[in-house]
Amino acid sequence: MATGRDVRDMLGLPMGGEAPKAAVQKRPKPAGGTRKIQGVAREVAALYGERPPPVAVYEESKSYRAKRQNTGPAKKWEQQPFRNPVRSDGLILRHWKRKHTTAPAVQPSEDATMQDGENTEPYIDTCSDYAKYDIKVDLPTFTDDEYDAYLRSDDWSREETDYLIQMVGDYAYRWAIVWDRYDFQPSLAHETLENTNGDTDQALATMPFAPSKKRSVEDLKARFYDISAKLMKQRIPEVQMDAEQYSTYEMLTKFDPVMERNRKMLASALMNRSMDEVKEEEFLLTELQRINMAANRLDAEREELRARLDAPQHNPAVSAGLQAFTSSQALQALFQQLFQQDRSKKRASGGGTGPGRLSLSANDMVHTPGSAQAQLSAANRRQSMASQAVAQTPVKHLSPRQEERFNVSTHDRLTSGVTFGSDKLLKMRQAKSNVQTQKIGAALAELGIPDVIPIPTSKVGGTFEMLVTKLGKLLDVRKVREKEEGEVRVLQNMKDGTKEEKMDTETKEEPEDENDDNPNYGEDDADAAGEDEDDDDAEGEEEDGDEDQDTNGDGDGDGDVVPDDLDAEGEDESSVQPSRATSQGATTAGHKRSASVFSQGSEERSKRIRK
Amino acid sequence: MNIPNSSTAPAAGEYAGDEVSAIVLDPGYWTTRAGFAGEDVPKSVCPSFYGQRDTESDTQHYFGENAIHNPLGDLDIKNYWGSDGIVEDWDTATKLWEYAITNRLTGTKATDPTRNGLNDGTNTNGDAMEVDIDALDNQEKPLEESPLLVTEPGWNSAKAREKYIEIAMEDWGTPAFFLQKTGVLAAFASGKASGIIIDVGASHTSVTPVLDGMVLRKGVQKSPLAGNFVSNQIRHIFKQSAPEIPLTPHYLVKSKTQVDAGAAAQATYKTFTTPPTDSFRLNEEERVLTEFKESVVEVWPGPGRFSNGTNEEIAKNTPGRPFEMPDGWNQVFGAERFRAAEGLFDASAALTSESSPRPKDDQTIPKLVQAAVLSVDADQRPLLLGNIVVTGGSTLLYKFNERLNYEINNIYPSTRNKLIAPGSVVERKYAAWIGGSILASLGSFHQLWISKKEYEEHGASIVEKRCR
Repeated sequence: MATGRDVRDMLGLPMGGEAPKAAVQKRPKPAGGTRKIQGVAREVAALYGERPPPVAVYEESKSYRAKRQNTGPAKKWEQQPFRNPVRSDGLILRHWKRKHTTAPAVQPSEDATMQDGENTEPYIDTCSDYAKYDIKVDLPTFTDDEYDAYLRSDDWSREETDYLIQMVGDYAYRWAIVWDRYDFQPSLAHETLENTNGDTDQALATMPFAPSKKRSVEDLKARFYDISAKLMKQRIPEVQMDAEQYSTYEMLTKFDPVMERNRKMLASALMNRSMDEVKEEEFLLTELQRINMAANRLDAEREELRARLDAPQHNPAVSAGLQAFTSSQALQALFQQLFQQDRSKKRASGGGTGPGRLSLSANDMVHTPGSAQAQLSAANRRQSMASQAVAQTPVKHLSPRQEERFNVSTHDRLTSGVTFGSDKLLKMRQAKSNVQTQKIGAALAELGIPDVIPIPTSKVGGTFEMLVTKLGKLLDVRKVREKEEGEVRVLQNMKDGTKEEKMDTETKEEPEDENDDNPNYGEDDADAAGEDEDDDDAEGEEEDGDEDQDTNGDGDGDGDVVPDDLDAEGEDESSVQPSRATSQGATTAGHKRSASVFSQGSEERSKRIRK
Repeated sequence: MNIPNSSTAPAAGEYAGDEVSAIVLDPGYWTTRAGFAGEDVPKSVCPSFYGQRDTESDTQHYFGENAIHNPLGDLDIKNYWGSDGIVEDWDTATKLWEYAITNRLTGTKATDPTRNGLNDGTNTNGDAMEVDIDALDNQEKPLEESPLLVTEPGWNSAKAREKYIEIAMEDWGTPAFFLQKTGVLAAFASGKASGIIIDVGASHTSVTPVLDGMVLRKGVQKSPLAGNFVSNQIRHIFKQSAPEIPLTPHYLVKSKTQVDAGAAAQATYKTFTTPPTDSFRLNEEERVLTEFKESVVEVWPGPGRFSNGTNEEIAKNTPGRPFEMPDGWNQVFGAERFRAAEGLFDASAALTSESSPRPKDDQTIPKLVQAAVLSVDADQRPLLLGNIVVTGGSTLLYKFNERLNYEINNIYPSTRNKLIAPGSVVERKYAAWIGGSILASLGSFHQLWISKKEYEEHGASIVEKRCR
């Protein structure tokens, strides 16, 4: 076991100082392990085992409250007189406080003498807890000289200015209240002075500082700010002001009462809107919001589309760089070539929805050294280059021989899920009707093919399919033969008995029309009819017609297995019908035709089976 | 670690509570409230009506609930408030307030041994007696130990304010005094420093804009459309109904028998050798009407006025409310119960007679609010409208707040208007007192009291300077 010592040794760390430390650490550990865990039931704690969990979640407060400490008799409270240091009048109020036991001892001598006359309690507390709430506001102060020099105004008397500053101080810059309470009455001195002139009212009206003037908040503010700014400038020259001071100064000088007034007018107009206007605004706002949202969405969609359309073309520089990284240019060329082939194949097949399962893809190039970068960039561009990704998919081509060897097959359409080759074989054995299936089974048994074919490779499957196809043909032919034989027998019988020539022709037509319904036919016929339910009447006729011809070369038809009848399979029925007319005469042609007809029938059968 | 949030109690230093056993007196037209600061409910609530009995030698006053409802022959029931909402009868007001304070709070002082009659006969020398008289006067003052906070209406005159401090300092000998407006205190009771306070009391409705704990005097509005107005409206309804509805107060009824709705009362009545005065009967009738207001009267909650469109039809279809008079007469009141209080909001809907003319349009509550808001600086209007405190006993009329909310939102649709109406009846009725209780129990308030010394130095006018 590698100990820490070994590790340390390996890392080349010093070993000397560690030993005592470890010893120190060791000691608390066992204590920690056995330590009783607080706030957890003993049973739960036992479940923890030797080591408690790294994060123990338990409530600290779960434990019982500590027993109340009895610290002797109840504390005494008393109504303690106290003085608020902020008050200048020395008002003594009383509040309830714990009774002091030691404190009065310090004070009495002093207080006793002071309070002697009043004969009240000797000790008066000083409660300065709330002194901090006694706030005085800063106000601009000026001397008479300063006022005369800078602050004179035509609109404001010195008296009113003082009154204004006093009001601002009284109401701590609450302008709304200052304005509310602002009620400047020129002092009596003025009035009496003016009284001597005559009529008081007239005198007041002609006074430079008419009291009737109703000052607005803006007027008050403008005057006060003006004074403040001027005084500030006097005290601190503009150049010496620091940033904060200057901003204050700027604010003071830039106050524009007219603008303020206009702003307030607008504000009140906004408030006094009618319900309809408010509703209209609300409606418009929601509409605006909706439009904005729609615009945003549209923008986003457009952006995305633009990104797709304007996606940078595959950068040749990158591929050049990629080539530079690759060990062999030939390999790259090969890859390109294969890829092109694959693409053309894809186009031809009409797929193109995505890379085929067994086709080459751009990722196949990963193994070439240095192309990781390319892959990375490809991944980055994956979304925008969806169209190019298809084009880029390279496909490795195998020779037919290789395909065979590796058992590679291509499919137009893949069914979902996994299927077994043996299933396929089993399916082929089954025909639509039980009788037919039995017949196929009997024929196969005749040929010595086991029920379960070992190693059902695709090749075996193919061969088996061919075999079954041929079996089908064989069975068809047999059926037809039996039918014909039966007919022949009937005709023979009729010939034997009394007969007329007309009857002969009739019977010739009869099987054509009523071959399904004719009760004289054998069971096999009925089965065949049932089997051919889906077939058109024309087809039935066609078969019949063929049968006529084939009566001669029966044996030939049986044994003749045309290996390349795949070509005939591709032919349509429509092409068969006219060819039949021409083949009436020539037996060789008819022979061939019969084969094609058989194959046709088998094709239909195979179709049915597939269904 | 206690993280402060809205639900945790503030630390002791934070809410600055420091009680000095101050007394808060909140006189109103209907009741006068008094109690110790720091408590949540006034301990002493006595009617502002008093009984006066004139005899040859002197006039006697009777205070308190028990006294004024006693049907004595020659008891006049009066109120010390004037019709303008300012105290008129100062002498009686002083006595009634003193009664309100001493009756339940401080208790009456024990009579000095020299006067209690126990030492009669042991009178030695008159000189000693004479000397003691001054000291006695000092001792007998009822509020020696308690600072006093008195509330005043927002429109109180400067003269009346000086009167308050004179009474407190000279008659009661309080060590410290303060005068605060009811509007501000009602706002404090709701935890607001700014707002519009709509106070619908008995005699007056007032709308007071308050900013940072100070009344904006220009915005203070008052009107006589309040509780008493509603009572008068009910009287009108009773008079105008097809068979006149009789209004018989309790004291007249000896016993009653049950009668069908609308049928004449069958009751036996009391007989008095000297029948009580008209003012007594009026006051007793007022009690019945109060009951009626509490149980029957409903304010049309909107939308629209009661007289608008189909509102009356809708009201008729709502279930009525029954009411039984003290003499047994009873009736179910349908749509007419909406009519009584409609005048508060819609002057044209008020029932009128020769004695009570149609109220002015600008006396209705919505107009008062509008006028109050208009007289406030434009910047403060949204703030104030966001804190509309509703207080006063008459706001307890059923659906009053719904209607008020509708009316205000109708006037100011573009601002965020919020009505703050305490749910509990006590808080609604005594909001001003509760605000005073909060204010006077604050440690930070210690420095605001007007002390006796200051009063002596500056005289009564100090109240103008300090209590603003």
